[in-house]
Amino acid sequence: MNLVAWPLLIPLVSAAVLLLLRGRRIRGVVAVAAALGTLAVDVAIGVRTFTGEVLVVQMAGWPAPYGISLVADGLTGLVLILSGVIGLLTVLFLAISLRHPPRRGTGPLLNRAREAFGAQALLQFLLMGVNMSFLTGDLFNLFVAFEVMLVASYGLLLLGGELPQLREGIKYVVINLVASALFVVAAGMAYGLFGTLNMADIATRLEIHGPDPRVGLIALMIGLVFATKAALFPLGFWLPNSYPVPTAGVSAFFAALLTKVGAYSLIRTFTLMFPHERDAQLIVLTLAGITMLIGALGAITRRRWRHTLAFANVASIGYLVVGAFMGTSSGLSAALFYLIHSVLVVFALFLIAALAECIAGESYRAEGHLDVYPWLGVAFFVAALALAGVPPSSGFIGKFGLVRSLLEAGGTLRVAVAVSALVAGFCLLYAGMQIWRGFFWGASDAVHRVHLPRGATSVTGVAVVLVLALAVFGGPIFGAAERVAEQLDGNRDYLEAVLPAGQVRGE
Amino acid sequence: MELLLPLLAATLIGAGVFLVLSRALIRLILGLSLISYGANLSILLAGAGVARDAPPLLDLAGPHNDPLPQALILTAIVIGFGTTALLLVLAVRAYQATGTDHVQELVERPDPMEPPEVFADPEHPSVSPEIGPAREGPR
Repeated sequence: MNLVAWPLLIPLVSAAVLLLLRGRRIRGVVAVAAALGTLAVDVAIGVRTFTGEVLVVQMAGWPAPYGISLVADGLTGLVLILSGVIGLLTVLFLAISLRHPPRRGTGPLLNRAREAFGAQALLQFLLMGVNMSFLTGDLFNLFVAFEVMLVASYGLLLLGGELPQLREGIKYVVINLVASALFVVAAGMAYGLFGTLNMADIATRLEIHGPDPRVGLIALMIGLVFATKAALFPLGFWLPNSYPVPTAGVSAFFAALLTKVGAYSLIRTFTLMFPHERDAQLIVLTLAGITMLIGALGAITRRRWRHTLAFANVASIGYLVVGAFMGTSSGLSAALFYLIHSVLVVFALFLIAALAECIAGESYRAEGHLDVYPWLGVAFFVAALALAGVPPSSGFIGKFGLVRSLLEAGGTLRVAVAVSALVAGFCLLYAGMQIWRGFFWGASDAVHRVHLPRGATSVTGVAVVLVLALAVFGGPIFGAAERVAEQLDGNRDYLEAVLPAGQVRGE
Repeated sequence: MELLLPLLAATLIGAGVFLVLSRALIRLILGLSLISYGANLSILLAGAGVARDAPPLLDLAGPHNDPLPQALILTAIVIGFGTTALLLVLAVRAYQATGTDHVQELVERPDPMEPPEVFADPEHPSVSPEIGPAREGPR
């Protein structure tokens, strides 16, 4: 049986069902079941793709250049598993933390009113959009997937309708609509130039066609669109203020996955269609290098939990894109490992921030919480060290791989980017230390104990354990990332599987 | 026609960008609509240059128009329709919450989530007497 379409179908159907259901408990059960099912399918696809197999579904049976292909190769399998895990944990966080009556001070966990207006259904639509952007092999379908994802994210961002949400929501919607318009123009131009929108077909035509300045222009436009979605330097100022405004679980999901979809699309389009567009790649590499520094410096300047972490998320996107665009296979494999690390660690940190905001409000300047909440301190310690990239953590493995491949590749620009990666690492460590000093250290006399919903704390615990597990199993996972990067080099398997010449179908 | 349509697309996008840069929400929304019209028109222009023998389903003789750009535009129009509706609702909600459709009002109103006063800049206190507390809009 072909599994490739299921990561779209399960969230789509369950979202529709969730809109119809009355009653919180039944909605929670359906949402968790759907997320579990999606995760199971994602893992099944991932296991098969890691052996080097490429799974393809041609929608409605139309052969490749005419119909829309859904393709799962190693990279897709990797990000699908990540989206499945994060999706499940987010659904649980939204569902379980609801079962406790909201108390005073549980502001960011207070999901009840928002849940009634369809937070779970919107989250399933969002998951569908995310999975569709991962799976699609068609440039225009990628635009549609982005719109599905973005419309759901507008809803989740605005759910609640408070003034900060409206303010940031307008910015978020406007910047994304402008980027989408640019995407439509780029897709139209690509169709005009290549006569096809299937990404594999474009790739083979480009190989025959050879270099052309118009291709460079299209590559740059598509690069800028995804750079906007991934929040690279001059295009990413919408992110740090908008991600902290939705409810806690949703903002964790946004930070962990949504920007990474932009980064994934950058990797996918540039490794598949534009591997020879060096100019566009160097522009994106430079932007990513600056993004790391801006994100890390921004994280130092903020005094509120999720605002600091949103900037740290921007920095980690910078690292990820730097690795993918340095132009070597070792850099790409380090970037893929960093992708896993970044998704898990940012998610864990946002959940920790949610609990901390429950205890003492948005600002982290409220000392003495280590004595009262030792486990929260341990969790934050582990995740913050991983974020900064201090040796035993997974962040160190990723950053070491990135800096090493940058220095091996050589060249002034790459060495400069390597230096800024190291500086940004120190800045992130400093930002973590500021939170540690501000929130955890100090006399605990003034701290009074707030009840934390057990569901919320256990989901956070699972997220932190995943961060630890990534460090413990760093070797094998890095090996898998290397195999995926090898597969992306040239993309032979992908092209043969999608295009009708080989007639390779997903069984 | 060769020159007219690109000029039209450029005018639409230019006017759209001009409107998006203004501070009234309704003008911003109109500007976004104009930008998306310009983008749709440019798909039509890009697609017109491609000669295909026949659409996939037909084997009739004669000159054919490539149907795909039109299908793409239709998709983009539908999506644009939905997002414009959402933006209009957002604008109405912002109007209810602030009493004006100026973006500036939304941005410069004191943020209820400001950090504690100890850390606020003493020269720019977070609540200034002229503006006053935010009016709660109807839920």
